[in-house]
Amino acid sequence: MDIAMVRKVEALSGTSVRRCFQCGKCSAGCPMATFMDHPPNRIVRLLQLGQWQRILAGRSIWYCVSCETCSTRCPNQVHLASIMDALRKLSWDQDGPSKESYVQLANRLFLENIRTYGRQYEMRLAAVFNVKSGQFLKDMLLGPKLLSKGKLKVFHQKNRNITEVEKIFSRIEEMRRKGEAL
Amino acid sequence: MTALRYSYYPGCSLHASASEYDLSTREVFSVLGVGLEEIPDWICCGATPAHNVDELLSLSLSAKNLELAEQVPGDMAVACASCFSRLKFAQHILSENETKRKLVEKAIDAPVHLERRVKHLLEILVRDYGLEQLGAAVKKPLSDLTVACYYGCLLTRPTDVPNLDCTEAPTIMEQVMEAVGAQTVSWTHRLECCGANFTLSRPPVVQQLSNAVLESAKAAGADCIVVACPLCHGNLDIRQKEIEGVYETSYGLPIFYLTQLVGLALGVPQERLGLDALIVSPQKLFKDKKII
Repeated sequence: MDIAMVRKVEALSGTSVRRCFQCGKCSAGCPMATFMDHPPNRIVRLLQLGQWQRILAGRSIWYCVSCETCSTRCPNQVHLASIMDALRKLSWDQDGPSKESYVQLANRLFLENIRTYGRQYEMRLAAVFNVKSGQFLKDMLLGPKLLSKGKLKVFHQKNRNITEVEKIFSRIEEMRRKGEAL
Repeated sequence: MTALRYSYYPGCSLHASASEYDLSTREVFSVLGVGLEEIPDWICCGATPAHNVDELLSLSLSAKNLELAEQVPGDMAVACASCFSRLKFAQHILSENETKRKLVEKAIDAPVHLERRVKHLLEILVRDYGLEQLGAAVKKPLSDLTVACYYGCLLTRPTDVPNLDCTEAPTIMEQVMEAVGAQTVSWTHRLECCGANFTLSRPPVVQQLSNAVLESAKAAGADCIVVACPLCHGNLDIRQKEIEGVYETSYGLPIFYLTQLVGLALGVPQERLGLDALIVSPQKLFKDKKII
């Protein structure tokens, strides 16, 4: 039982887990529930019981696709999609334990691209993901087709706000070091 | 009526894998005489990966874009459902939560601008330009075309954030398609998720979810699907052939951006709408339905 961590999830997500009465509408509408070890309503129940370690040790949070169906349908305004964001952040900061390294790798590369280029660079994102995840042949047949359709841009135009973007990333890192931000 | 004009935030995909959405949006706005000026050096909204692991970063990137939008007059026009969602989320959270607003102001080293209205193309067409006017501008009504309007997740959800239309029974996309003469179908999966950004990390998840969407549209008798999101488009169009292989079936459903169909109805030549960039070719459908 660790209530401090649950309070942190509530602060980050701006929603209260205490409002949930376990009707199960979130899990009924969740397109990803079949892939999860703990379905969405159980995530809230585990938080109510202070058992957040069990959530972070599982794969549910990395299988949530952020479709917002749960938050939309909750009769008690529990914003479960934001709770999932908060849990992923806590897991991310602790660098695991997570069984879903591919999703984390995709997220990390996506954010690195924003920091480097200011905008997403889809071709680089897909190429580096395949190399770093060891799946060299993943979607291999799609590549030439997308290139011929002009859907993969090989060269990326640099953004003039690139230094501004870097400053945002480094200021947030600095704020975290000083404990000013969660 | 004074001339409508907007500050345009295309988003990263519209400059790469969804360039036909960008192209057709510009064509439609130009034919309708609506001003569309791109915000100079806009930055990525952070999309799902940013809010998934770092809400402060996600809010800060959107706040920076709202600040950059100040350079161009007019409401913000957004084409991508994900960018639209992130900008609306940032405005919603930052206007309600003072703690988060102060943190974001520190991160971007500037006050946050929350006044500017952020609008999706659909609401610009329906509420600002008007369906009657849009109907009057149609040169080639798409009368023989039966379309399945696919909303996916972020155009309408969650309650109180995008405020584009009803979260469970939206009609805004059908209204646009019917205004340009197309028939629309009622179908089960119009609001279900396509698998979104799992296309990079977990393609089998996308195959399963997108297969259900394609199956539902086909069963409802649609000739094609119309979307307003680059990620939905990529999953349904680029991955359609591989989905047909995995599930041993055949759909052959062309997937259009809404502006491509509106453009066709307005008489824009098809080469200016990026229709050749679609992976599932619409040419046979166009021939059968005598559209071109």
